[in-house]
Order: sequence, then C-alpha cells, then structure tokens
Amino acid sequence: MSFEVDDVMFPLDRALRGIRERFADAVIDADRISLRERTVVVPSDRLAEVAAAVANEWGGLFLQVFALDEREAHGRFRLHTSFSMAPEDAVLTLIAAVPGDAPRYPAIGARLPAAVWCERELRDLTGVVPEGLPDPRPLIAHDGWPADMHPLRKDFTLPASVSWAPRFRVPPVEGEGVFEIPVGPIHAGTIEPGHFRIASTGESVLALDVRLGWSWRALEKLAEGATSQRGLEIAERLCGSCAFSHALAWCRAIEELSGAPVPPRGRALRTVAAELERITSHLGDLAGLANDCAYVVGAASFQRWKEVVHELADALFGHRWLRGVCVPGGVRVDLDDTQQQWMRQVVGEIRAGVSTTVASTLANDAVLDRLVGTGVLSPEAARDLGTTGPAARASGLTLDVRRDHAYGFYKELDFQVVHRTAGDARARFEVRADEIQESLNLIEQLVHRMPGGPLVQHLGPLPSGTWGFAMVESPRGLSSHWLRFDERGRVSDWRVRSASHALWPAVAQAMQGDIVPDFPLVNKSFNLCYACCDK
Amino acid sequence: MIEILKDPLRTGPLSGRAPLVVPTGLPRPVREHVGDLEVTGEALREAVQRLFGGSLRLRVLGAGSCNACEGELAALLNPFHDVQRFGVDLVASPRHADGLLVTGPVTRHLEEAVLRTDDATPRPRLVIAIGDCACDGGFCRDSFATRGGAANVLAVDVRIPGCPPRPSAIVEGLLTAIGRATVRAAARP
Repeated sequence: MSFEVDDVMFPLDRALRGIRERFADAVIDADRISLRERTVVVPSDRLAEVAAAVANEWGGLFLQVFALDEREAHGRFRLHTSFSMAPEDAVLTLIAAVPGDAPRYPAIGARLPAAVWCERELRDLTGVVPEGLPDPRPLIAHDGWPADMHPLRKDFTLPASVSWAPRFRVPPVEGEGVFEIPVGPIHAGTIEPGHFRIASTGESVLALDVRLGWSWRALEKLAEGATSQRGLEIAERLCGSCAFSHALAWCRAIEELSGAPVPPRGRALRTVAAELERITSHLGDLAGLANDCAYVVGAASFQRWKEVVHELADALFGHRWLRGVCVPGGVRVDLDDTQQQWMRQVVGEIRAGVSTTVASTLANDAVLDRLVGTGVLSPEAARDLGTTGPAARASGLTLDVRRDHAYGFYKELDFQVVHRTAGDARARFEVRADEIQESLNLIEQLVHRMPGGPLVQHLGPLPSGTWGFAMVESPRGLSSHWLRFDERGRVSDWRVRSASHALWPAVAQAMQGDIVPDFPLVNKSFNLCYACCDK
Repeated sequence: MIEILKDPLRTGPLSGRAPLVVPTGLPRPVREHVGDLEVTGEALREAVQRLFGGSLRLRVLGAGSCNACEGELAALLNPFHDVQRFGVDLVASPRHADGLLVTGPVTRHLEEAVLRTDDATPRPRLVIAIGDCACDGGFCRDSFATRGGAANVLAVDVRIPGCPPRPSAIVEGLLTAIGRATVRAAARP
C-alpha cells in the first residue's frame, strides 16, 4: 500500500502528521479522547491557520466552532473547532484557549466561509470576538441587545432593560434602479418566521440577506443545570420536523459519555424511526415544491402520502412526530412481528404511491420549466460553505453521516448515497425523491433482519469533565450535539449545530443571479428549519 | 397526472377517509384520546355556517414554535382532513382573517411582530393558542427569551394543548372557539 492510498483512506493521520510538521512550534498537545475523536490543542492566534490547513489541504470537512465559558475555573474561554475526516470515521477537534479578560482571536471565518455563521453566533452568545470576520454583524442578537449581553456566559443575568424589538442594519445595495424587497419575519403562509431582504434590479436578484434569530428561545441556556431527562425534552423540541434526529443525537452524545452500547434491537428500531422521519420530511418538501410550481395535484398527492407516514408513525410508535420514542440507551417502544409485517405492507403502498407521484411531477413540463436551472449551487460553493444533506448531495458532494460516521443499524444495511451534480432545484427534488425510496428499502431490510433482545441498555452515572459528541444525518443533513455534564450529573454545557444552520448561507448563495419570483421556489428546494437554526 | 387521479376516481375522494386502516388486533402504543375528526368537523361546519356565513378564515401566526404545530396546521388542509369542506381556511394576510392561530411561546424577538400582526387583524377576531408552547410556554416557559405563552401578549380565547395537537384536536378546539364567540356575541348589548 502506498502512502497516497493511506492518505485517502486515513485523512486523520495525514492531518495529524501535517499539523505536527507544519505547526511544530504551535501545537501544545495531542490526545485521543474517544475512538472517533482526536483533539489537538493549538494557541488561539494560530487556530485559523491550522483550521484552514485541515480543511483546505488535509480533507477535513468543517463541522462547527463554538465557545465555552470556563472563566470561573480556569480564567479562560475555550474554543472547540471540529472537522469530519470522512471517509474515515473520525473527527478532528482543535481546542484553543482565549483569555477570559481579553477574549479575542483571529477569525476562522476569514479563511473558511463555512465558519462565519458559527462565529457570528458565538460572539453574540459568549462575547468572544473573532477578529476579521468578513461579515461581522450579529446573528442571533438583534440590534437592541446591550453590547455586553452574552447569554451563554455562566455569570449572565438578564439586564433590567433590553430592547428586544428588532432593529438591524442591512448592507446597503445602491445603484440606478436598485430597490429592496423586505420579506417577513411574519410570512404569508404556514411557515416559521425569518426576515429576507432582496436587493434587485427589476426581476434580477443582486443579493439576498437572511436575518434569522426570531425563534431564539435560548434553549442551550435553558438546558444548563438540567437533568439528562429534562435535557432530552428540550432537545426533542428544538425542531418539529427533525425531532427524532435531535433526540437521537442527544441520546448518542450521552451514550458516548457513558460508554454503554445500545442493544441491537434498540439500534434497529431507532433506525426505523429515523427513516420514517426522513420520509415524512422529504414528502413535505416535495409537496411544497410541487405546490410552488402550481402542480396542485402532485402537491396534494405528496401531502396524502405524508399523512399516511404520520399515521403509520402514530400507530407504531404512538406519536405522529416520533417524540418520546428515543431514550438514552435505546428506545421506549417495541414493535412485535405482526406490527413489523403490517409496516412492511404499508411501506409497499407508500412506495407505489410516491413513485407514481414523482414520475408524474417530473413528466410535467410546467414543473420542469420552473425547477431546471433554478437556484444553482455549484459544487465549489457547496463545499466552501460547508453544506450538508440532500442540498449538498444535489451539488455533487456525496456526504452522508449514515455512511461516513455510521450509527444505529446503518453499517449492517445496504443503501446508496443518492447524489446529483446539477445543483439546481430539480436536483434537490430528485435527490429527495430517490432518498425516499432508499429509506423505504432500509425499513424493509430492517423488518427482514430485526434482531431480538432488549430495547434499552441501562446507563451508569455520567462522568464530568469530559464530553460526548454525536452526529446524525437528520432529514436536512448533518446535525450534531455536544454535551458536557457537571459532578452532580446535570448539564453544564450543550452546543447544537443543526443542518439548517449550515445551509442557510447556501440559500443566499443560490439566489444570486436568479429572479425574484423564484425566491419561494429556491427557498423551498432547500426547505430549511428556522427553529433549530435559531435554537 | 391521470395516474395520480386514477385511485380517487375509482374509490371516491380522499376527504373524510381514514389515511391508514390499522388492522384490528394489532397492538397499539399508549396514546391520548383521539377524537373523530368527521363528527367534530360536521358540527364545526354547522357552526361556521350559522355564525360566519359559512366561511371562517384564520391566519397562522408562528411565534417561535418548533414547526411541529405548523406541520399539523398544514395537515388540516391535506386531502384526508380537508377542513375547507367545513368552511375553514387558512389565509395569507391577517387583514383577511377572522382570527389568529398562534403557535410557539412568543419569543421576545417576535413580540413586536406578533402585536403588529394582531393589530392588522380586523375586530372582532378570535385568538387561538395552538400547542403547549402557545398555551402556557410549554417546555420553554422558564426561558427568559420567551414570554411564556400567547396569553401573556394577546387576549387568548381558546387554548388547544398538545405537543403538537393532532389535527382532530385542533378541529375540536376550533369548535370550542366558535362556541366562545357565540357567548361573546350574545353578551354584547
């Protein structure tokens, strides 16, 4: 085996070797903390340099950066910057300390566009300042927040007077015939709140600015001091359409901490639920796209099958949105043989119904006329922005946590990572349509190979001082939860990055050069959540 | 398109049909009481006919929900539930609405937008809190970033609890809301 093959197969080793060689003067310590995650401590003034090298030269895929307030114990803030080293099932985490009294460091976002939203958010919530960000505006904080209000600091108390009313600046776009179209936060439909500012000349879009944070419920703060059970209640309610995925990520982070393996039957049933959630979500997206192309019959048919899957989830697991199914150590609900056989029969009906509807929709010229070439996201932009999920796969990036960092029962199952290369709205439609078929296949395989045994593994007390980190492939892509408990077994820090958080900047990118009337369609072709982005 | 329509053409419209027939004898997980949407819906249709001239128009106002309540409100319009046949519809502007369906705990960031949407709704109007968060703040009532429920910001007529409430529960709640509207109308001099 040559070195080149090694480098492709084991990018983690290549990156660690590279860091030691190039940054020998900087790296303080390297340590294995779990089978999957390797950590490297770097000085904060070199963090951006190392991060850029990991991403641009050694194949790391940016996952997230967040800050933790450790001023009381250590007089510092701590930055965690993580990369997926796919195809190797490994995560590389750069850890940097920032002084508690002068919390500044050179921004990673100045070199890696994918980090910009994370760093805008960490500055708002912890007051650590990434210097040199290309877009230094607040993300969560609206302009009425006092400058020193940072809710994820441990000593945070709510100031007596906060102007919560949204007042914020948008970058001025000027020129002859340029005008701005403000949209939202309250939208003309059954949709979540967000503000979009479209700068256009006539129909052509010059720039789209996305301002979110409206649904910010301070959930990461709310979970501080919570028991793991209460934390699960919160995690499961981050988002409705990805409820099971977030519950699963939370539970897996806890399981990583405790080291207890989930029994095979628990893993298999989790996988059934996760795929049901994916099918539901994708059907909703396809219905929305068909509707926005004015193909009402197709939209109604997708809605029909979405409702069937909701009812199936309800009949099998007791909840239409699969809440209360996943618990740390396994699942709460069992499916017996008759239930599994019935599920397989219903899956067959769903497969036939959805195939017919997809074929009919893609045979419709009026639909194709709207979808083809609309909202193109190039593979380069998709990679630079750190996109994930069906949107990334529609732009040619074959990334899928289910394969790259396998969990649940996926390693034992056979499935394709669907992708397209066009990066337009049709590609995103087709990826979802094909993924529904893959998910139905997965459920059929699971019925065929359902292992016996217990549903739940009892977990012992959770260790403090270290952390649990878990990634899942939610319907919209990679979502990750990072968790740390204190000595009393209560949550001390919780950080979430949802797929939507990673994908919103891509919506703005995909709109450039498109036309104003296509905005709803482009937006729908990504169909991102607002709630689990805002948190 | 004809492939999609073949099934309903053969068996009749999906409206009012059960999306999924669960075989008798199949074990069912424990869950709360599920009302019959058809029975409640028929009562709703009569009430909407009597009090709103056959047309009750409602505006969904997302106030920081997790989007599950929005999902269930959207499901009201799917081919099975099809609440439009009861005279109920969701409209795009508060100015066209007889009432608001508020979801979410009302986050601080959205409070002003919620109030302005309410201002834009012609009087008299119904305010219906959809889901646990809108009812009393739900799981995030202790968060400083929320107002702990719609009733702390608007005059709420009816609460429909659930996380999220099922479509049948929402229809039941709408019936209750119209009952309240009747009482209020009778009390007016």
